Amino acid sequence: MLMMRRRAGESILIGADICIYIAHIGRSRVKIAIDAPRNVKVVAQEVAVVEEQNRAAAASAAVAAAGGLARTIEKFRQASARRSDMPLEG
Amino acid sequence: MPQIETKYFGSVPYEAGSVIEFPAGLPGFENEHRFLPIEIESYRPLVFLQSLADRGLCFLTMPVAAVDPQYRLEVTAEDLAVLGLGRQTTPAPGVLCLAVVTVSEDAITANLLAPLVVNLANRRGVQAIRPEPSYSHQHRLEPAEVAACS
Repeated sequence: MLMMRRRAGESILIGADICIYIAHIGRSRVKIAIDAPRNVKVVAQEVAVVEEQNRAAAASAAVAAAGGLARTIEKFRQASARRSDMPLEG
Repeated sequence: MPQIETKYFGSVPYEAGSVIEFPAGLPGFENEHRFLPIEIESYRPLVFLQSLADRGLCFLTMPVAAVDPQYRLEVTAEDLAVLGLGRQTTPAPGVLCLAVVTVSEDAITANLLAPLVVNLANRRGVQAIRPEPSYSHQHRLEPAEVAACS
């Protein structure tokens, strides 16, 4: 992986049309301005992880239904039986 | 009372006041803003989150406290603003905190990295991605022995 040292106010170019500008460096966070073409998707890495997991969750409901939702839930209940039965708003 | 076509339970009557609004949608489902939580006694502690716009979209969720009673909630200032809430560190009364459940062939996991946090006072919700990755997005719910026995 390429490592570069940059100060606040400096930039990095990726290819011809992506520019990453170090706008501000705080104590534990940096503020970054990104200039990229509209068709380039820019998201925080954890957002991409959650997107993928949500899609898997939405599709997984079909897996649950195919195997019999009730049976899946039963397995699930066995797995969580040892945990206290928490009220919805607990 | 309005009716909703659901993925698993056919047509279900519901109260407009129980709908949860996610102003930003959910990551990967940015255009889905309104969900109805459906609780069925025999499926507790699962909560079904049925999309109002898409009959075929229904998430399985469960309260994070049922996954991990020690769970520490952490919500960014931006997400708190969406919810209209002050700083929260534990799932508090009036705040619903659900983990999205994923079922695959060999495991059931809960997303503790990004719980769905809902302010029950205004029925607004957000999928609150934690600023620090201290919990897994694939927290395994099913012990290996249960999988082996089934």
